[in-house]
Amino acid sequence: MAEKLRFAIYWAASCGGCDIAVLEIGHNILKLAEAAEILFWPAAMDFKYKDVEALPDKSLDVCLFNGSVRNSENEHVARLLRAKSKVMVAFGSCAYEGCIPGLANLTNRGDILTCVYQETPSTDNHAGAMPQTHWAVPEGDLELPEFYDAVKTLAQVVPVEYFVPGCPPVAAQVWNVLQAIIAGQLPPPGAVVGVGTRNLCDECERVREGTKVKRFVRPHEVIADPQRCFLEQGIICAGPVTRAGCGRPCIHANMPCRGCYGPPEGVSDQGAKLLSAVMAIIDPEADVEQLVQQIVDPAGTFYRFSLPDSLLQQAKWLEVGKR
Amino acid sequence: MSNPDTIDPKFKDEVMAELGGEHLLRCYSCGTCVSMCLVSRVSSEFNPRRTMRMVMLGMRDEVFRNPTIWMCSACDLCYPHCPQGIHISELMRAIKNIAVRDGYEAPGPVAVVNEEECSGCDVCEKACPYGALSLVTKVFDGQQRKVSQVNKNLCMTCGICAAACPLSAITVEEYSNEKVAAQIQADGWLTEPAQRLPGEPQLLVFNCSWNLRADVDRAALTRFPPNVRVIVLPCSGRVDPIFILLALKSGVDGVLVAGCQPGQCHYKQGTRIAQGRMRILQQILDQMGLDMSRVRFVQIGTEERGRFPALVMQMLADLKARMEPANITA
Ligand code: SF4
Ligand code: SF4
Ligand code: SF4
Ligand code: SF4
Repeated sequence: MAEKLRFAIYWAASCGGCDIAVLEIGHNILKLAEAAEILFWPAAMDFKYKDVEALPDKSLDVCLFNGSVRNSENEHVARLLRAKSKVMVAFGSCAYEGCIPGLANLTNRGDILTCVYQETPSTDNHAGAMPQTHWAVPEGDLELPEFYDAVKTLAQVVPVEYFVPGCPPVAAQVWNVLQAIIAGQLPPPGAVVGVGTRNLCDECERVREGTKVKRFVRPHEVIADPQRCFLEQGIICAGPVTRAGCGRPCIHANMPCRGCYGPPEGVSDQGAKLLSAVMAIIDPEADVEQLVQQIVDPAGTFYRFSLPDSLLQQAKWLEVGKR
Repeated sequence: MSNPDTIDPKFKDEVMAELGGEHLLRCYSCGTCVSMCLVSRVSSEFNPRRTMRMVMLGMRDEVFRNPTIWMCSACDLCYPHCPQGIHISELMRAIKNIAVRDGYEAPGPVAVVNEEECSGCDVCEKACPYGALSLVTKVFDGQQRKVSQVNKNLCMTCGICAAACPLSAITVEEYSNEKVAAQIQADGWLTEPAQRLPGEPQLLVFNCSWNLRADVDRAALTRFPPNVRVIVLPCSGRVDPIFILLALKSGVDGVLVAGCQPGQCHYKQGTRIAQGRMRILQQILDQMGLDMSRVRFVQIGTEERGRFPALVMQMLADLKARMEPANITA
């Protein structure tokens, strides 16, 4: 029997959904266990960082890394696993493009800490205590990871071979990717794997009639017609700027696509492209300013999953660097 | 003189029977429409009054063979000024409809869909102000797919669809993404330190092709200092917000987008679409903690001569003030 593949699975700044997504492959997990030996998976089994540190460099065949890089611990483990792994996979939207944690980049470290430790109504912090990276107590020195100013994607911290989008990646795609890894049939490095072709609309069965939008509404404000394209009902759907591959669970639950599979090939900024499409389909009779008002939280709506990996983020880092 | 053999005395009745052609005979050739029309700038041959006269005289072949009949963009600048209340763009459309039935075609160029890449999302159909796009079902490699199709007799090459298409599957060749990017970057404007005046802000301007009426106003576009770069696009609706973000992330200090006043837009809806895009983009910059005044959008009326250079210089001055150490906020 061929030697088993040596696997690691890690979570950085993530919700844990990506670890569950691996378990969602169901009975196929037995096939994975047959083909692979798991040497590190903190969400599922008891491992310590020192177990990884003890491994020789490049001794892991594959690391599935989920979660974005929010603090120095995330970065430390990303570098450690990179050194130990032949193939690094940014697994899930957080590692790939920043995802929901990445929306924190609308603000900054100082404002987040002030809000969380001083301003929330349930906080009682008269002493004004703030988290410190080092603290001396009689028992010895205590350390906490440093909270960064911004959330970064995995590829912004270490070189990455493959990207698997999705919040979380759907089970069928996870299994596709695992099978490709087991069979040694991965495409050339740099590829986005576990996806379809083109965008969601290409596969979507909803009827499109060219109807222009008189009023934008949020999903909770109406009961959407389950047959018609969301956009034509004034409900912002990220399908046009989202890579196919998820099988459209949201669309089938009568909810618009939120864009978690990231931009299709060739789209450099998912948010700006969605904005460009959405504001082009407005009805000639509608008032532009009213339409603008109807889009509540534009940054969150258009950049829900892709902010740290966007051109907008690069513009911000350039400006912050100048200050 | 036209050849009497080719004169079709029934032509005027045919046009008047067509929807939109009813009021042909009201025209008394005052020429007000011609004086309002912006198309004359790109083609001195375009002359609605003469076309109407030729229809009345039955010069059917001459009318249809003249490529200018396809140039009316239905901006309707002329309509409110016609003392006889003729809706000239509707009349031009009636003429075009008959021409199409006779087998004539607009000479182009028009928007082109890359069917390989098109997803059939139908965003472009909703975006086009002229109803020039629609979805058709085609078979590719044995698989049925819906793709967008251009009606070349209706497309006015405004480029609104090209900015709207999420996959860049539809292109107006002369103003393709690649050509716009090349214009922005020409002579190393973004990358060569030599192109950057030390201590001076860089300002990128997108102007539409129609908001400046007089030659002298348009000539002023070429006389800005080198830290201002003006890109002329057919319509402000052609400006993809991605162009703006690419400029900002490359270190450009500000972007000014200028279109026509609503109701005067050469492509009917372009300036409204641009307004919506720019307003949302400004809000996003603000939410992101960036200075939203770095992106400005203005709508210039056809009568507002000379306002444009002042707007550019004002924005340049404002950007410069931002750069003063005292005004840099943490
Ligand atoms: S916009 Fe959304 S609802 Fe409409 S076709 Fe695309 S994926 Fe389907
Ligand atoms: S429909 Fe959109 S948001 Fe929903 S799973 Fe698919 S890509 Fe993600
Ligand atoms: S917007 Fe683009 S992808 Fe969508 S139907 Fe039109 S050409 Fe095709
Ligand atoms: S270029 Fe303008 S007129 Fe032509 S198809 Fe596109 S949106 Fe319509």
